Amino acid sequence: MSHDLLIPLIIAFPLAGFLITAVIGRRLGANAFWIPVGAVVLSWLVAMLVVVAALTGAEPYGEHGYGVTLWTWIPAGALDITAGFFVDSLTAALLIVVTTIGMLVHVYSIGYMAHDPGRWRFFAYLNLFMVSMLLLVLADSWLVLFVAWELVGLCSYLLIGFWYRKRSAAEASKKAFIVNRVGDVGFILGLIAIFVNTGTLNIRDSIDVLTSETLVAFPIPVALVALLLFAGAVGKSAQFPLHVWLPDAMEGPTPVSALIHAATMVNAGVYMVARANPIFASAPDVMVVVAGIGIFTAILAASIAMTQTDIKRVLAYSTLSQLGYMFASLGVGAFTAAIFHLMTHGFFKGLLFLGSGSVIHAVHEEQDMRRMGGLAKKIPHTYWTMLIGAVAISGIPPLAGFFSKDEILGEAFKLGFTWVWAIGIVVAVMTAFYMFRLIGLTFWGESRVDPAVEPKIHESPRTMTVPLWLLAIPSLVLGVLLTWPGPPLGPLLGLDGTGPLHTWLHGVFEPGLELLGHHESEFALLGIDGVLIAVSVAVALAGMLLAWRLFGVEIGPFRGAQRPEQVKALTARVPGLYRASVNKWWFDDLNHVIFVVIGGFSARAAAWFDSHVVDGIVNGIGTVTRRSGGGLSQIQTGRVQNYALGIALGLIVMAGSYLVIVGR
Amino acid sequence: MADLPLLSIVTFAPLVGALVIAFAPARWARLLALATALATWLVSLYAVTRFDPALSGFQLVEEVSWIPLFGIEYKLGTDGLALVLVVLTTTLTWISILASFKPIQTRIKEYMVSFLILEVGMVGVFLALDTFLFYIFWEVVLVPMYLIIGIWGGANRIYATIKFVLYTLVGSLLMLVAILATAFAFQEANGGSWVGAFDFEVLRAHAATAGFGDALQMLAFAAFFLAFAIKIPMVPFHTWLPDAHVEAPTAGSVILAGILLKLGGYGFIRYNLALYPDAAQAYAPLIVLLSVIAIIYGAIVAMVQPDLKKLVAYSSVSHMGFVTLGIFIFQPQAMDGAILQMVNHGLITGALFLLVGVIYERTHDRTIAKMGGLAGLTPVYAAVFGFFVFASAGLPGLSGFVGEFLALLGTFVVNPWAAGVAALVMILGAAYLLWMFQRVVFGEPSEFLLGIRSHLSDMTPTEILTLAPLGALVVVFGLFPGILLDLIGGSVTSALDAVGHGSAISVDPLVPAVGLGIVVAAVIVQLANALFGGGGAGEDQPGEAAPEGAS
Repeated sequence: MSHDLLIPLIIAFPLAGFLITAVIGRRLGANAFWIPVGAVVLSWLVAMLVVVAALTGAEPYGEHGYGVTLWTWIPAGALDITAGFFVDSLTAALLIVVTTIGMLVHVYSIGYMAHDPGRWRFFAYLNLFMVSMLLLVLADSWLVLFVAWELVGLCSYLLIGFWYRKRSAAEASKKAFIVNRVGDVGFILGLIAIFVNTGTLNIRDSIDVLTSETLVAFPIPVALVALLLFAGAVGKSAQFPLHVWLPDAMEGPTPVSALIHAATMVNAGVYMVARANPIFASAPDVMVVVAGIGIFTAILAASIAMTQTDIKRVLAYSTLSQLGYMFASLGVGAFTAAIFHLMTHGFFKGLLFLGSGSVIHAVHEEQDMRRMGGLAKKIPHTYWTMLIGAVAISGIPPLAGFFSKDEILGEAFKLGFTWVWAIGIVVAVMTAFYMFRLIGLTFWGESRVDPAVEPKIHESPRTMTVPLWLLAIPSLVLGVLLTWPGPPLGPLLGLDGTGPLHTWLHGVFEPGLELLGHHESEFALLGIDGVLIAVSVAVALAGMLLAWRLFGVEIGPFRGAQRPEQVKALTARVPGLYRASVNKWWFDDLNHVIFVVIGGFSARAAAWFDSHVVDGIVNGIGTVTRRSGGGLSQIQTGRVQNYALGIALGLIVMAGSYLVIVGR
Repeated sequence: MADLPLLSIVTFAPLVGALVIAFAPARWARLLALATALATWLVSLYAVTRFDPALSGFQLVEEVSWIPLFGIEYKLGTDGLALVLVVLTTTLTWISILASFKPIQTRIKEYMVSFLILEVGMVGVFLALDTFLFYIFWEVVLVPMYLIIGIWGGANRIYATIKFVLYTLVGSLLMLVAILATAFAFQEANGGSWVGAFDFEVLRAHAATAGFGDALQMLAFAAFFLAFAIKIPMVPFHTWLPDAHVEAPTAGSVILAGILLKLGGYGFIRYNLALYPDAAQAYAPLIVLLSVIAIIYGAIVAMVQPDLKKLVAYSSVSHMGFVTLGIFIFQPQAMDGAILQMVNHGLITGALFLLVGVIYERTHDRTIAKMGGLAGLTPVYAAVFGFFVFASAGLPGLSGFVGEFLALLGTFVVNPWAAGVAALVMILGAAYLLWMFQRVVFGEPSEFLLGIRSHLSDMTPTEILTLAPLGALVVVFGLFPGILLDLIGGSVTSALDAVGHGSAISVDPLVPAVGLGIVVAAVIVQLANALFGGGGAGEDQPGEAAPEGAS
């Protein structure tokens, strides 16, 4: 089948699924999932055909991708925006993550939402999200990308607030949308600036113009364009200081957290910056900002994750932290490493979230880890898959997270961003620590579950455990697959190569890397690279061991007790830091003061001004006119002389003003 | 068919309908009115098929000499801009009449007659090509709206309708003076002949070639501007709008927001830019500033409104700021955006007022604080409401986005700072709309709503029928704005050409001085009123309205 048809079909299936479910879903009752899940499976199948063709460079994709134009969306004179799709290897990489995890989350949701009366609505929203997210990665125009950008925000809003009766859910959904809009203002101004500079909003054409050497002076400095685009990325990918919406977004059903707020939508910012890599590469100062914001978010969020007690919030802060890694990677110029981490993180974080959903399901909607514990034996599938996810994110070889994280840190170091590397190493310790704290509190040690719930704990149904295992597999092997036979494992066996991911993405990132003057460096297993790998594995192990010591361990022969008194002693030694972490560095309180207190006051002040001053003047004029009318009626004397005098005076005034005006 | 006076038929078909209703039994009034409005709508759609967007200038022109002594003519004609707004008018009119079937239970005959005459005035304003005729239609609009608010409105309706009429009259009387002054100036320049002194095309050609004198331009522009700025309305001339909306019946609000505000935007493009280009250039920076203020200010004030209708009214102030911004930044994409924004605001805000009407029908209340949990009580209503709330917040893919984006883009080309500030409305708009939506639709059902649970039926088929076409158009124009852009392209080009002829003008010191004087005088008046009048505006309103409302 022609790819002109295949590419739109990827989106068409979930779109049809959404429309059908939205219209007749309510009547389907318990069977409402068949159409949406089927649509996503079909979408996945078609996407895989496209992905394989695009990654192998088959016709019609070739080296630089292939676009399909649908229709002229906005024909406004010089501005001519077409709606179309574009697929190259970067798109293909994202398609793998989005459609695969999307499909698994849909399947998982069959079980997870089985008892929710609104499940038809849930599946309709999920399908709409798939449409939006696929449009986001397939968009060939900045404006179409922006459309998708807003649509995923809408779906996020609908799904966070899915249980709309809960006030906290409604609040969280609103917060997510509005905070995202802050970044979007930057994004839309950025894309308008691109149009002003280049006269087009087509992504490839505009990048070609922006980076061509013939044109020197743009009306809008490229650095400003990059900064504005980055503002959009900061909002969507929840980076400091717009990170506050993501933890609250955990109010949504857990499959939503896995799909939207861990594996796909929050990656949109990373994707956008990677897509615009030549623009960012033309503004090296902005790259430093990107790296700085990224690595700062990474450590900030990791520090908060260490003390949270809500299982989903730990994972949410972990997501922030890992996204921070990705931005740090983009900022230092290691674009491929960022996309690599995006892919591996999508799978293992999706897995961890779905696992946490399974845990929450098992203990009857309890999310507080202080009321869990000892669950390993009772829900073994969940336990083992989550353990794989935890090892993967901690960066222990040969699991997926090790490869991508190590590549980020290694590149940062070798490209001269030692500070990024150093902070990144600290974050790596913290990551391993909070992940195994989570595992320990949830699965190991004595049960602290509510005794009423205790006997009812059960493993989740197959529709939930099978997706967990299907996500565990890539979490185990994706790192090897995407790097083999290249570094770091290849050279160990004397093999040579760059690994498939680097081969695929080479063409996409070449322009940016050329502008930055970065070259592929030799991989020295017995030199600097070996040392860096050893350091990051060592710190990851250190973090794990610390968590084991404090929160116990029960894996096969390894046994250890939990030591709550030592945890207390440790936190008592750094009370300030501990309070800061527990209170999330008071960002929510700060926002409350700024937006609710000060903003609310300003709005009320403006409303008072409007009704008392602006409208007051209007009504005042009315009043005065009425009263003076009463006063002036006294000059209606009925005496002709008075009237004549008035007419004469009036004539003089009119003639005078006429002379003044005409005389000018 | 070719020689049918199509535009006259579109304009006066509602008048014929109104006459028939006046003499027909009252029980037929509803259906006759709907049939008339639908017929008018169909004729207006037929006119679109007869319109060729590729041609420049006015089409389907009809010309009859009326008062030859002064060169006043009965002259109708249309360009893409007028045509689009006419179709918007005929569409919203039948929807409004249908939406009035249930809410209006008293004096149905008079109501329907008023509504149809209102349509005559609105369509006439868009189609008139003679400035005198234009003025007459302009004033025709005022009377039925005065009655609709004053007779079928809410408790404080007399205050609101008098304020609406007086405010609008102040503007329009000055506009009449400006129309006459322009005619005099033309007659003088034309060697004393009155021929064409009121003919818009002749005047426009004169403005483009010889041009009117600086002083006339500055004053006439100001007079026209004031009339249109009150209508659209621009900050600080907007305060009649929330009052009028709150008191108007639902369909009145729909037409008020959907069409009457657009009369102002249309007037700016048609008259201010074409006839007084030099003055337009001179005033533009001030107007751009006021527009940006309106966009932000309207959104901030909307945030804390306790009444659903007031919130939507202030959102209109914010949205119409994009219209004036897009017009007076003098950039093609921006003006495209301004016109799209007019159409889209008509559809979306019209729908929002219909939706407020739906809930008001059941609860007889519009206080946001009393609502809550409608998603569980009336799910279809909640979904439809959500759709239009997001459309109003400028969700891309729906029509509201395209207009705002184009206006923003065009503004950015000319003045990035203005665009940067105006873009903040993306945040503010989402904030006030979603906060309102959350309080009305989400959460547990409120005590108030549970108390009247038995009245809270979900949307009726008629209500869905009024909203479905608007929803469909919002999607269609969101995905295919080219339909509109093709039609209005010629109007945008000619309006910008007109301004392009504008030469630099030394800003008349008289103008800012007079403006400042008015403001100072107004402040003094207000202070005097507060100090010596024994009370201000707040005391005034109920005092005026109470006796009337009681009768």
